[in-house]
Amino acid sequence: MASLDDPGEVREGFLCPLCLKNLQSFYQLQSHYEEEHSGEDRDVKGQIKSLVQKAKKAKNRLLKREGDDRAESGTQGYESFSYGGVDPYMWEPQELGAVRSHLSDFKKHRAARIDHYVVEVNKLIIRLEKLTAFDRTNTESAKIRAIEKSVVPWVNDQDVPFCPDCGNKFSIRNRRHHCRLCGSIMCKKCMELISLPFANKLTSASKDSLSTHTSPSQSPNSVHGSRRGSISSVSSVSSVLDEKDDDRIRCCTHCKDTLLKREQQIDEKEHTPDIVKLYEKLRLCMEKVDQKAPEYIRMAASLNAGETTYSLEHASDLRVEVQKVYELIDALSKKILTLGLNQDPPPHPNTLRLQRMVRYSATLFVQEKLLGLMSLPTREQFEELKKKRKQEMERKKILERQVVLESQQRFEERRSDLASRAANGEVVSLRGGPAPLRKAEGWLPLSGSLGQSEDSDPLLQQIHNITSFIRQAKAAGRTDEVCTLQENLRQLQDEYDQQQTEKAIELSRRQAEEEDLQREQLQRLCEREWEREREQFRAASLHTRTRSLDFREIRPFQLEPGREPRTHLAYALDLGSSSVQSSAAAETPNPSSALEPARVWSGPPALGQEFFPQSMISQQNELASLNPFDEEDPSSPTAEGTISPPAAECSFGPSVSILKEYNPFEEEEEAVAGNPFSNPDSPAPNPFNDEDEHPHQRPSSPPVSGNPFEEAPCTNPFEMDSDSGPEGEEPIEEELLLQQIDNIKAYIFDAKQCGRLDEVEVLTENLRELKRTLAKQKGGTE
Amino acid sequence: MNVVFAVKQYVSKMIEDSGPGMKVLLMDKETTGIVSMVYTQSEILQKEVYLFERIDSQNREIMKHLKAICFLRPTKENVDYLIQELRRPKYSIYFIYFSNVISKSDVKSLAEADEQEVVAEVQEFYGDYIAVNPHLFSLNILGCCQGRNWGPAQLSRTTQGLTALLLSLKKCPMIRYQLSSEAAKRLAECVKQVITKEYELFEFRRTEVPPLLLILDRCDDAITPLLNQWTYQAMVHELLGINNNRIDLSRVPGISKDLREVVLSAENDEFYANNMYLNFAEIGSNIKNLMEDFQKKKPKEQQKLESIADMKAFVENYPQFKKMSGTVSKHVTVVGELSRLVSERNLLEVSEVEQELACQNDHSSALQNVKRLLQNPKVTEFDAARLVMLYALHYERHSSNSLPGLMMDLRNKGVSEKYRKLVSAVIEYGGKRVRGSDLFSPKDAVAITKQFLKGLKGVENVYTQHQPFLHETLDHLIKGKLKENVYPYLGPSTLRDRLTPR
Repeated sequence: MASLDDPGEVREGFLCPLCLKNLQSFYQLQSHYEEEHSGEDRDVKGQIKSLVQKAKKAKNRLLKREGDDRAESGTQGYESFSYGGVDPYMWEPQELGAVRSHLSDFKKHRAARIDHYVVEVNKLIIRLEKLTAFDRTNTESAKIRAIEKSVVPWVNDQDVPFCPDCGNKFSIRNRRHHCRLCGSIMCKKCMELISLPFANKLTSASKDSLSTHTSPSQSPNSVHGSRRGSISSVSSVSSVLDEKDDDRIRCCTHCKDTLLKREQQIDEKEHTPDIVKLYEKLRLCMEKVDQKAPEYIRMAASLNAGETTYSLEHASDLRVEVQKVYELIDALSKKILTLGLNQDPPPHPNTLRLQRMVRYSATLFVQEKLLGLMSLPTREQFEELKKKRKQEMERKKILERQVVLESQQRFEERRSDLASRAANGEVVSLRGGPAPLRKAEGWLPLSGSLGQSEDSDPLLQQIHNITSFIRQAKAAGRTDEVCTLQENLRQLQDEYDQQQTEKAIELSRRQAEEEDLQREQLQRLCEREWEREREQFRAASLHTRTRSLDFREIRPFQLEPGREPRTHLAYALDLGSSSVQSSAAAETPNPSSALEPARVWSGPPALGQEFFPQSMISQQNELASLNPFDEEDPSSPTAEGTISPPAAECSFGPSVSILKEYNPFEEEEEAVAGNPFSNPDSPAPNPFNDEDEHPHQRPSSPPVSGNPFEEAPCTNPFEMDSDSGPEGEEPIEEELLLQQIDNIKAYIFDAKQCGRLDEVEVLTENLRELKRTLAKQKGGTE
Repeated sequence: MNVVFAVKQYVSKMIEDSGPGMKVLLMDKETTGIVSMVYTQSEILQKEVYLFERIDSQNREIMKHLKAICFLRPTKENVDYLIQELRRPKYSIYFIYFSNVISKSDVKSLAEADEQEVVAEVQEFYGDYIAVNPHLFSLNILGCCQGRNWGPAQLSRTTQGLTALLLSLKKCPMIRYQLSSEAAKRLAECVKQVITKEYELFEFRRTEVPPLLLILDRCDDAITPLLNQWTYQAMVHELLGINNNRIDLSRVPGISKDLREVVLSAENDEFYANNMYLNFAEIGSNIKNLMEDFQKKKPKEQQKLESIADMKAFVENYPQFKKMSGTVSKHVTVVGELSRLVSERNLLEVSEVEQELACQNDHSSALQNVKRLLQNPKVTEFDAARLVMLYALHYERHSSNSLPGLMMDLRNKGVSEKYRKLVSAVIEYGGKRVRGSDLFSPKDAVAITKQFLKGLKGVENVYTQHQPFLHETLDHLIKGKLKENVYPYLGPSTLRDRLTPR
């Protein structure tokens, strides 16, 4: 649970994808996977379910405790918020929302405007230059005016009765003034003045920027202000009162505005405030830390683990370096904080705020990163660590080697097992007889699946667990826990029941579909049957066994939708001809079958009708251990085999796949080995001879991987079987049939009792089928 | 469909696109709220945004060494402010983002104001709503209707908010609305109109199941908001009030100065994130654990820092400790205040009766309980009025309705006219005549059996029996059982879309 709960943990190696258990080698992982998780999707579901259960349990406990604390609030069982209501992490990934850019539009409009603006500014500056190009202080006012008028044509006085900016009427007292830059008229209040240094700055800057004139501007301002306030000229009638500032140029607000903006731009170009310089340094330092710190942390971690990849000296050097950068950051940000504090007009509060913020973020940065800087071990500690690690490594190595050895051994074992079997098979095939028998192999999965049949159903497993939990809780006297556990148990059991019912329903439905087909095929098959009587005897008996095995194997499984049946069916119909194709087809439906095509092929037979009652019973017993039915299993296939082997085969092909003890390699080889010789003789015969051999084999029930391909090869044991006599076995077979019929009757009764009408129907159908078989058999034997 | 994340992504993108350097975030009143809901100051500081300014603040200094990121709603005032700003730019460069669709003419006038070419970006980023939780947003509109009709300003703001939501989540939904509500229909139509008009914005990859916008009117379930809630966030909202994740604790007796206003945000308060939907009792135990944890980590007060190692450990742990102490004191204060209010206002008892009024149909017992509580001096006039409102809603047409008597009791209790008026108002607002659905007696067989079973099993928690009507509505929606005659689709075009085979 802990490992599942902690998503932050990152582990690598041969991890089991389901339980995250670390396994040392590929073989181990594989065998682990087969043993623990062969139920794949079911198991995953089971896992999640158990997780949820556990979470609920924990929650309930918590609530209980709380409920006791605050008795009157009584909040048990308040579950709707168990998961915090929402878990956005479960939501689909989200990209940036929609955006729309207006930039191109904006730029288009701006470009038109800017052209206009630039022209305006340039025009003003050229005029300004002309206005300041001569020595204003030593020129007569009239002349100045003449020059001014030549720069820009002045608007006629008569045309402007009111000041266009403030709207006041012009009069003797409120005189008209002309803007020297654009020639427009305004009143005195609305008039602006441009000082010569200002003008100079603008013109020189634009000269510089244009770099057309290399000569510095003549300095008309050298004596500026010296004559301020002196009366310049009396000759100019119009400007007696206020025409005393020749060192300044009159202009309107609009022109002044434009020029001011221009000045600002010039200023900005040249000026970088201190804070920016310091800030840039600060950022550089931060970047450096971002680079170096991870490197150091990697080193320190490695050194602290006792590894010798990095040298201790180097690491401590780096540490010192990083620490120095931190100090620098601290110092720089402090300097930024105190910038301009001592200036006379104290800086704007916003400036101070900015400085504080920069300092604050630097502090945050240092705090956050410095914390991550773990310390290094001292020299002595390091030596110790190294030693420890060495020991550990050795221990680990030994352990690993052991484990690897073990699993290899197992692998080898299987291999040799397989080899011997293969040898066996070869011998058999040399002899050319049908009906293979590989007891050892056949038994393996059976016993495996038997042993684990309970556990392999996660639900059953869970039920088991919970039962034991309850025991423990009872022992510990924790009654409230017992309650919750029992509640859980009940839920689980309900769930299990439901599952079983679904299984049964699914089965019966499929069966109904197949039965139609079966009947059609039956006849044809019967014909062939007669033709090939001899060999079939043997092969078929083999099949029976397989079936019984498969049955058990299937049980813990949820039946997979019978998607594949057609292929198998086709195969069964074609019998001798198309085994290769069918084995290929068998691979598709089930992932695990990829590993064991042969197996899959072997699985199908006989389950269709038999499994159904079985599951019904197990459903009734709820926790029924499946063993009791073992005895029945073999009997039913017999009945089945006679009636409708092909159909039965079709229905379950894909579903057989738990082969716990099986090494996949084995299977693969088998399949390969099997394929080549399968085609010619084996398939067709098997189903129909079952009756004869069947009882005989049951006790040992050596279910070969009922692969038709293999049947051909392994003659050996089988010949003995057939030798020992089909004759003696027939009556028992009949008995079994009868028994089966009785069973089905019982099931029908039960189904009727429970009111499951559709089941009754299917069962009745089965019964009829069985009876027919029985009759036919009787006829046949006679 | 995470709205917090959607807005956060927008803001991150803005900051990223402006490149390195010191930045100022220029916002209006609403976008300030929008951004503050998804980003904390320290988080945003790390992205080199050092100043936050309001576009309408006059007292801004010229700081040409800063880059300005403007995130503004596309209102007329904002455009005007921006035009002024661009005429005399205070910052070196401007990245302008509007939180909704802006008109071409506004773009033009902005462009013409930008004579100094300081604008580097003009975009629409549709973060035009307050993202409260990943699945919840608000527009912070108080009172959107006059009578049963939309206020025009509120309707347009709501439409903008909804369309921005759709755009930020990249969804072009089918729209369903509550037929019984004219307001819902009106809003649905407005949203549809925007989608049609800005069709090229709404061209998103088609999903197999088209998204659905279901517009409901609160008047369909006036009960739920009248009940006292018992989960953390809901309680804080109900009893203290949350405003853009901020809680005003200044009325708490004996509150320390730095806790007058606290921020509860699931985005950066882990404890809150884990507990906001847990009920009150659970929070009590969790906060106890938090305290214990804290006690463990707390550096011993008078612990002597004898060795350098001690000091180092202390310094290294201190920031963490400080952060934790902030969290602890905040939550302890908030929960303490909640618990004080609960006992002061006798809320447990009140809630029990509220739940009975909402979930059960036993008139005489309900009436008796309400009457009893009205006599209780601990029950505030607010809670008393709510109880009577619940009674009035549930037993509106009951044969032995004794609302006048209860109203008398209210008056005798000294409940002010303001609250007493609410009783008739709530009936007018969400009474039987208005409701499209039946809140109290389940109609279909499943619901009846469910209720029956519930009755058999006994109630698990008396304070949380009531399930909002919304729950059922959504449940039906998910199962495809939401009735089309009650919640119709909007417009023939959507119908056609719906019918075309996918």
